[in-house]
Amino acid sequence: MRIRQAHASALRIASLSAASMCAAIAWAQDAAPAAVDGAVAAEAAKAWFDTGRLGLLLAVAVASACIIAGIVIARLGGSVRIRRIAALEAIDEAVGRATEMGRPVLFVPGIQDMNDIQTVAGITVLGRVAKTAAEYDAQLEVPTARSLVMTAARETVQSAHYAAGRPETYSEGRINYITDEQFGYVAYLSGKMVRDKPAACFYMGAFYAESLVLAENGNAIGAIQVAGTAEPSQLPFFVAACDYTLLGEEFFAASAYLSGERDQLGSIRGQDIGKLLVAASIVVGCAMATYASIALAFGGS
Amino acid sequence: MHAPAHAAKPAIDLSKLRYILATDCGSTTTKAILVERVGESWRQTQRAEAPTTVEEPFADVTIGVSNALTEIGELAGRRFIADDGTIIRRKGPDDPDGCDIYISTSSAGGGLQMVVAGVVAQMTAASAKRAALGAGAIVMDTIASNDKRKAHERIGRIRELRPDMVLISGGTDGGNVQQVVQLAEQIAPAKPRPRFGGEYELPVIFAGNKEAAPQVRAIFGAQGGFDLSVVDNLRPTLEQENLGPARDRIHDVFLEHVMAHAPGYDRLISWSDAPIMPTPGAVGDILQRIAERDGLNAVCVDIGGATTDVFSVFGGTFNRTVSANLGMSYSISNVCAEAGMANVLRWVHVAMDERELRNRVKNKMIRPTTIPQSAEALVFEQAVAREALRLAYQQHKEFATTLKGVQQQRTVGDLFSQQESGRTIVDDMALDLLVASGGVLSHAPRMEQTAAMLVDSFEPQGFTQLAKDSIFMMPHLGVLASVHSAAAMEVFERDCLVRLGWCVAAKGEGKWGKPCFRYRVSGAVSASGALACGDVALVRVAGDQEVVVVVEPEKGFDVGAGAGKPLERRVTGGTVGILFDARGRPLVLPEGEADRKAAVARWAQAWGVC
Repeated sequence: MRIRQAHASALRIASLSAASMCAAIAWAQDAAPAAVDGAVAAEAAKAWFDTGRLGLLLAVAVASACIIAGIVIARLGGSVRIRRIAALEAIDEAVGRATEMGRPVLFVPGIQDMNDIQTVAGITVLGRVAKTAAEYDAQLEVPTARSLVMTAARETVQSAHYAAGRPETYSEGRINYITDEQFGYVAYLSGKMVRDKPAACFYMGAFYAESLVLAENGNAIGAIQVAGTAEPSQLPFFVAACDYTLLGEEFFAASAYLSGERDQLGSIRGQDIGKLLVAASIVVGCAMATYASIALAFGGS
Repeated sequence: MHAPAHAAKPAIDLSKLRYILATDCGSTTTKAILVERVGESWRQTQRAEAPTTVEEPFADVTIGVSNALTEIGELAGRRFIADDGTIIRRKGPDDPDGCDIYISTSSAGGGLQMVVAGVVAQMTAASAKRAALGAGAIVMDTIASNDKRKAHERIGRIRELRPDMVLISGGTDGGNVQQVVQLAEQIAPAKPRPRFGGEYELPVIFAGNKEAAPQVRAIFGAQGGFDLSVVDNLRPTLEQENLGPARDRIHDVFLEHVMAHAPGYDRLISWSDAPIMPTPGAVGDILQRIAERDGLNAVCVDIGGATTDVFSVFGGTFNRTVSANLGMSYSISNVCAEAGMANVLRWVHVAMDERELRNRVKNKMIRPTTIPQSAEALVFEQAVAREALRLAYQQHKEFATTLKGVQQQRTVGDLFSQQESGRTIVDDMALDLLVASGGVLSHAPRMEQTAAMLVDSFEPQGFTQLAKDSIFMMPHLGVLASVHSAAAMEVFERDCLVRLGWCVAAKGEGKWGKPCFRYRVSGAVSASGALACGDVALVRVAGDQEVVVVVEPEKGFDVGAGAGKPLERRVTGGTVGILFDARGRPLVLPEGEADRKAAVARWAQAWGVC
C-alpha cells in the first residue's frame, strides 16, 4: 500500500512539475522588460522557475515515466523477470542449515536507525527470514543497536509468524536492544556468536568498521552468512568472508524480489531503464563535451 | 533384529563356476538368462521368459521362475528344474544337468515402496530420498517439517499409502533432536497396514541424529508393531552425505521383511545364492561398477509402461530418479498432458489428425500391451517417447544436485558470480556413455531410431557414446556383480551392451544456415564435411572399426575443448555410426509448422531413421 502511494505521489509530482514549467515559461514571456526612451529600467522579475535546472526536471520526468511505464506494463501482464539473486535464494538454505543443526539464526539489521534507507531494506529482508524461520520452526535472534529498530523488527517478526500460521512460536524476548555504541554492539555480537554458534548469520543494513569483525567471526564458527549493504567500502569484506552478498542495488531490490508483486517488479524494471537512460546520457554528454573541447582546441576560435 | 536371510549360505568358489542362472521377477514377466563360461570367457548364452506368478490364482513367484528356467533348460539342452520344482545344482564338472549358482532380482508386486522423512525437505529429507532411490525403492512420499502439511495430514497420508518400509532421517549428529522426535511421533501413530502378510511388522530405519535415537526407539517401542533399525546418520554433518549404511540396511530389510512376506518369496530366497536385489538397485549397481572401472560419466534410462527410471554417475556420484507418471502405456496420457500435445507433435513429420492421436493415446492406456501396427503409429509413439525421456531427464537433473546447506568459501573475485549450492551435477558435456533400455528404445525397428530418440531427448553435447541394453540384462548383471564381478563385467561388454555409435554435437546457438562446425573422419572410414546450424549428418562406422574424428567448431560453438576450439578423438563405431549434430544446444525446433516438419523429415532422412 505504501509503495502504491509512493508511485501515485511520484506521478503527481511529475505532472505538477510539467504544468508549473509551462506556466513559468508563459509568465516569463509576459514579463519581458519594456524599453524606456533612452534608458533601460532595471526591473525585478519573478523567478518562479529556475531554467538552469531544466535538465534535472527532464531527468525526473523521464525516470518517473519509466517507472510508471514499468508498472503499467507489469499490470498488463508484460514480462517482469528479474535475474536470480543468489543471496536471496539462499535464505531458505541458511535457515534450513540452522534447523538441521539445531542452532539459532542470527539477524543483524546494521548499526543505523530507521531513518537510514538501508535499515529499512534490512527490515524488509528480516520479514522473509522470519517467515522462513517460523515455517521451519527455527529460533531467530535479532539484537539491535537502536531502540526504534528493535520495535520495527518485533512487529515485522510477529507479522511473519502470523503469516506463516505459527503465531505461538513468536517470542518477543529474542529481539533485543543492546546499545547505541558501535563497538559495544559489535562486542556483544561477537561474544554471542562465539557462545551460541548460530548456524546462519544475516547482516542486512548499514555497516562500517564492524563488517569484517562480524563476518570473520561468523566464518570462524562455520555459519552460512548472507550479507547486504549499500556501503561500497564494506562490500569487499562481506564478499570475501560471507557465503552470499547483496550488492548495493540488489539490496534495495530485495523487497520486490521477495514479494514477487508485479507492481514492485515493474517499478524495479522501470528504475533500471531510467538508470540506463541516465547512464547513456552521461556517456553521450561526456562524448559531446570531449568533442567540443577538441574542436575548440584545434579550431582556433 | 533378524539375521540376514542369506547369511547362512556357504562361500562360493568362483573358480568352479560354469553355469550361472539369473532371473528378474518383474510385475508381469519373469526374465531368465543363462551365463556360461565358454573357454576362458563368460558369455550370456540363453534367454527365456515366463509370466510372473506372484498374483492369484498362483500366488507363488517360484512357479513363474520354474517355468522360465525350464524353458531356458530346453534351449540350453540341460535340465535346471527337478521334478519337485526345485533348481538342480551341478554335483561335479561332468554333471549334464543343473547350474552352479542361481541369483535373482525382483520388482514384482510394485517393487519396494517406501516413505521417507527428514527435517528439511531440501537437506536431510532429500538425502533420505536419494538413499531410498539408490537402493532401488519407489519413494511414495517425502515427509518433512517444512512440507507445509499439518501433523494429521501427514499421519493420514502415511496410512493411506501403506508403504513397505519407512526411512527416517533428520538432524546432523549433535544437531536437531526435537523435530526428529516429532517426525517419529507422527509416523508411529499412523501405523500403516502392510501390503503383504498379516503379522508383518512395518520396518522403520532410523538414519538421523544419533542423539535422537534413544527417544525414537522409545516412541516406536511404546507403540508396537514396528521393527526399528538404527543405522549411521545420512548427514552426520551438512557437508557430508553418508548413504551407504542406510542403503545396505534397506537391502537387508527388503529381503527379511518385504520379500519374506510376498507370496513364494521365502522359497525364492532359499534358492538364491546371493541376496535378492530390487531390480532398479541392481541396474544402478552395474552402472556404478562400469563407470568406476572405466572412469566414465554415464547415464542409463529405462522407460517402462508406467514409469521411467534414470540412473546417472557423474564424478563418481550415483543418482537415480523414478518418474512415476512418465511411461509408454499406463502413463502415456500423462506424458501428453505434462509435455503438451504441441511438444509431442513437434517430433512428427507426417500429417496426423490430432483427434485421432488422442484416441490412440487412450487406446494405449486401455490396452497397454499393444504395439504400433503402422509406420504412422510408430512415429507417434516415438514422439511420445522423446517427450517422456526429456521430462524424465529434466527431473533427474533437478534431483541430482550438490548438497544444500553447505558453507561456501568465497574470494573477492566471486563478487559478480556468486554460485548457489544445490546445483545439478549432471553435465551434458561431460557425459561419456548414454545407455537406453525399455521397450520403445530396445525394440525400435531400427537402431537409428533408438539413437535419434536418445539424441533428441537427452541433447548430449560434445562426444557421447550411445548404447542400448540388448535384452534388458542389466538387472541380472547387477546382482551377478555382487557374486562374480569379473563375469558380470565381461558379459556386460560382450552381450549386454549394443553399441550404437557416437553423437558429436556442438553446444551453442546460431542462426540456421550459418556455419556450425567442420568434421573429418579418418582411419577405417574416411569422410569429411561442413555442417551449418540446423543440419545433421551420419557417417557409418561399424562396431569393429576404429576412426579418428576431428571436429572444428565455429566461434561460439563448443564440442568439448572450449568455444571455437577444435577437438580430436579416437573412437570405435557401432551399429549406427557417428551422428553429427549441428542443431545447437539447447535444441530449438523451427516455429512454423511447415518449416518444422521439413526440418524433422530432413533429420530423419539424414540419420536413416526412416
